[in-house]
Amino acid sequence: MADVMMAEPSSSTSALTRREHLAKTFEAYRAELDANTETRERLIILSRSITQMSKKLIFHLHRGATSGLVARAKNIRDGKGKEKEIIANFEKIRAELGSGESAESFWRWARPVSPGLEEYIEAVSFLFYLETGRLISLAEVQKGLSNPQTEEPYVVVTPEDYILGMSDLTGELMRYATNALSTGDHETPLAVCEFVRTVKVYFDGIPPYQLHKLSKKQDETTRSLVKIEKVCYSLRLRLIEFADRPDILRQMASRALDDARGDEPAGKDEE
Amino acid sequence: MSAATDNKGRIANVDATLTSVIGQLETEANVKKAIRESLEPIEEFSRSALTELNKLHSAPASDQAAICERCLATVAKAQPLWADVSKLIPKGEFYRYSFAIGPLCRSFVTSIAFARFILHDELVPAFTAANLMGLGGDDTGELQLTADDYLQGVIGMVNELPRLSINAVTAQNFALPVKIAAFVNDVFQSYSLLNLRNDQLRRRFDSLKYDLKRCEDVVYDLTLRGLTAGTAAEANGEKTNA
Repeated sequence: MADVMMAEPSSSTSALTRREHLAKTFEAYRAELDANTETRERLIILSRSITQMSKKLIFHLHRGATSGLVARAKNIRDGKGKEKEIIANFEKIRAELGSGESAESFWRWARPVSPGLEEYIEAVSFLFYLETGRLISLAEVQKGLSNPQTEEPYVVVTPEDYILGMSDLTGELMRYATNALSTGDHETPLAVCEFVRTVKVYFDGIPPYQLHKLSKKQDETTRSLVKIEKVCYSLRLRLIEFADRPDILRQMASRALDDARGDEPAGKDEE
Repeated sequence: MSAATDNKGRIANVDATLTSVIGQLETEANVKKAIRESLEPIEEFSRSALTELNKLHSAPASDQAAICERCLATVAKAQPLWADVSKLIPKGEFYRYSFAIGPLCRSFVTSIAFARFILHDELVPAFTAANLMGLGGDDTGELQLTADDYLQGVIGMVNELPRLSINAVTAQNFALPVKIAAFVNDVFQSYSLLNLRNDQLRRRFDSLKYDLKRCEDVVYDLTLRGLTAGTAAEANGEKTNA
């Protein structure tokens, strides 16, 4: 290149001024990109910690979900405390997006925030199910993620976020049902099975072009559903056979569970 | 028995909740579809602008300015159409739908930067590019040319330059490769000022150094044979005037 510059002195001078001029404009672009990167990184950190806390909340709920009534109620109360801590992080996200800027800023940064949001929705819907036996609605999720006074959302929950979160919820419910079964609780697996089946029917009706990510999750849901249906099948037979022998039922239940697990590739449950 | 009725209530709740959310999903899909449709006529112009520029590779040097003017005129025709897109985007939600708009913006920047380089030997600034596209007016609302789309669009144009440089030599236009090499070098140096993350822009930036090398190789071939303007002014002048 140096040779060319020497060969063409006139264009070399004009190139220099052009380069200087470009350097100035690109410094402005750099400042903009740098500011974006910093915001994105701060949001990713918050989103990650939301993911971690949500996972912990889910484990916490599993630990207490199959306990006796009193312990279970306390577990849910503690869970709500943990949920509040997670919401505080969403509040920080809102603060990060700046108060002066309009609501647009949320959409600009939705991508780094969404992994945490999805995990939170999963956790909060599980908590809600354990407490009420119902499916939390999108409006209820949104309300939890809004400023209680102004009702302004910290982050916006889209139907996509919600549906993907509910799809993850079915996985947690399966785990919950199998855990319940091993403690001799027969009602929970039957109820969960029915519940998940209904959710699956609705999600199967969503055309894939509307929500690409769902179809993979639906496969997962179908696998867990087949598993729990097998459990329910043996459970029903045993219930008829040994209705008056709870100790035998318990044994049978755990055997049915092992059978169902045998069909799964190893390590599936730890996921 | 009470457990069974309880369960029925739960299923009814699932029905109501999911029907409503799936309805919302559909509404949203319809907005996206409408936006995509509103972009179609604009895409048409964007493609014609690029088609026009493709003629640069085979046209004589004397026609190049006219080709670039026609390209910019085609870009200008798309200007009034952005208002139709803007109308469909709810207030404050530009970035929610920017995934559909971004690629189109990049393609326009590629055309504009290309034409302006041939015409004025300059790198068009983002602000000017946005104006030429027709963004930034009152009726285009929140539509904007983002820094990322601009920077990627410019790289898209630089990616075309090695080819143009080679074809210029074939057509015996020996001034253009020198002009191109100097420009690509300036652009490359400017991009080197940016702190890029590991994203698409970064990957496209990495392609620049190969473009630069290919453009410089052409100039090297010309210099070697005494065909560049400085060392062989006579030959060059003759050819470009021809």
